[in-house]
Amino acid sequence: MQAYLYLLRLDMEQLARSWLVRIWILLLVGPAGFFVVVAANQRELASETLAAYVAAVLAPLSWLVVAVLSASAVNGEADVVADSILSRSVTRRAYIWSKFTARVGVFLAVYVAVTVPLVYLVLRFAVDDATIEGIVWGLLTVASLLVFLAAFGIALSAIFRNMLASVLTVLVSTVASGAVFQFLALDWMSTTGVVSGLPETFRGEVSVAEQLRVLVVFGVLSVLATMFGMAWFRRKDL
Amino acid sequence: MKLAPSSLRRSLRAVRAGESANGGRAQAPGEDAPPIATELAGRRAGPSYAIEAHDLTKIYDNRYIALNALNMRVRKNSVYGLVGPNGAGKSTVFRLMLGLQRPTAGEIRVLGRPMRAESAELRRRIGFLPTAPVFPRYMTPISYLEFVGKIVGLPSERAKIRMTTLLQSVDLSDVASQRIEGFSTGMETRLGIAAALMNDPELLVLDEPTYGLDPPGRRQMIELIRELSGRDRTIIIATHILNDVERVCTDVGVIAQGRLIYDGQMAEMRRLARQNSITVEIEGNVASFERRIPELDEPGSVRWERAGPEVRITFLGGGAVTEYLKRLLELVERSGVELLRLDTGTHEVEEAFLRRLEEDRSRSLLRAPDWVAEDGAGQPGTEEPGRGDGSHSGAA
Repeated sequence: MQAYLYLLRLDMEQLARSWLVRIWILLLVGPAGFFVVVAANQRELASETLAAYVAAVLAPLSWLVVAVLSASAVNGEADVVADSILSRSVTRRAYIWSKFTARVGVFLAVYVAVTVPLVYLVLRFAVDDATIEGIVWGLLTVASLLVFLAAFGIALSAIFRNMLASVLTVLVSTVASGAVFQFLALDWMSTTGVVSGLPETFRGEVSVAEQLRVLVVFGVLSVLATMFGMAWFRRKDL
Repeated sequence: MKLAPSSLRRSLRAVRAGESANGGRAQAPGEDAPPIATELAGRRAGPSYAIEAHDLTKIYDNRYIALNALNMRVRKNSVYGLVGPNGAGKSTVFRLMLGLQRPTAGEIRVLGRPMRAESAELRRRIGFLPTAPVFPRYMTPISYLEFVGKIVGLPSERAKIRMTTLLQSVDLSDVASQRIEGFSTGMETRLGIAAALMNDPELLVLDEPTYGLDPPGRRQMIELIRELSGRDRTIIIATHILNDVERVCTDVGVIAQGRLIYDGQMAEMRRLARQNSITVEIEGNVASFERRIPELDEPGSVRWERAGPEVRITFLGGGAVTEYLKRLLELVERSGVELLRLDTGTHEVEEAFLRRLEEDRSRSLLRAPDWVAEDGAGQPGTEEPGRGDGSHSGAA
């Protein structure tokens, strides 16, 4: 447990020092301020403003950053893992679990730190057509997508030895899966489908059952990706 | 490395005794953790072998055989040198020993227990120095050793005492707060040694410990290993530098193509290597000298190889080397040749090692058990002197 906690702290510190994370936060915060100013001056609808911010800024940027940081979590430090960590009294489970929790924790912390003030400001200065319940569901839905993307990326980083291959696989497979789900009329499972339906969600026009379906499916997928990544890593030769 | 050996010894004694290197005082007042010496004394009497490998096999991707049914036993409290050319399988043995890889077949037991990927408790008793260790570049020696102390479960205060002592022992105190990214290979190796010793391991696994060190650094490392060996600690060293092995190891194993082709005590290896073999370099009528070599012993008991002015004579009889030496000097006198050099042992271990490899190559169908003794000692009677690549050889 002590090793897990220390590795968790170490990985979070590493992420906090990462230039990619710093740039990501700056690129999220800057446009957020712009959206608030525009919404206040143009009397835009709160639901549309929030959905536009997610679709134009938060989703694409986070997709890139989360994919890169999660898909390089394990294979990006392969030498250090073998020489300095797993050759000592650390279990593989503790190591990979620390990666999952640290990365998902940091991604969610950044997400919450950016979106909560944004929601407050938009509701205050834009035309308030959103419901609190709808906003909570909408933000939870986006969070579940981020968690799944992180879990999938970390699982691939445990499987692939090559960092570039795992990052590209995450990026390509998420884009391709969106197209496949749309083709199969399973829009609610595609990231683009979920994001495009956010205005209705923020206004509270989507039923709880539909929201739960998305959360449960992406939650289950995240758990499966995590379990598969852990199982694979425990058997992997380092 | 500039640290004086006496200072080094004092520091290491302090590490072993769980004391501060500063004057060798006792455990800091108020510290709850027991001194490391007490911990050492408390180690249970376990099996007589620190490492036991049975038919250990590792095949990568169903293509490359790294280890081929390797059987190996390392006595507890010995300093074992695992010697072999590059790609022989030394590092694979170490990775299996630490649970970093899984064997394709066979088993490896470390300190009496099977080693697996999840054997974290077992690894708590092991210290490991990889070849060219890789560290998080943004860390400093202090933060790195603190990190190692945390993940091996050392209490914070004790970790700090050990860290200070070890940094001094490996002569990194001056750069302790500098980032590792600017370190030379030698400095990284020394930091790796300090990290491997943080948990005061019962088993110390050193993969090429002299890698990247300059000659004084190498000498200090050998000295360090000597100091670390002894009561309650087994050290296993992988290297291809035989000189290092000869200087510190009590036992030696020769590995080639994934098999252990020799396993025994260092003294035995030396004896095998130097068994009544004398090399002379002469000037004058070398042919006449060579014709008279059979006179040195009973018929069939002398074998020799000649390469230019150098003649290497091996006595197969049971006589003492001093007696053969005396006869050889008389022969030199009788033959009227001038003796330029006489050698009874220098580099012989290296030659013996190369001979083993050569024999193994030429008898590749034979398996290791044919000439690895059951009790871990080599069987001198089963080996033949190698012929090398001398231009001329003979037997009488």
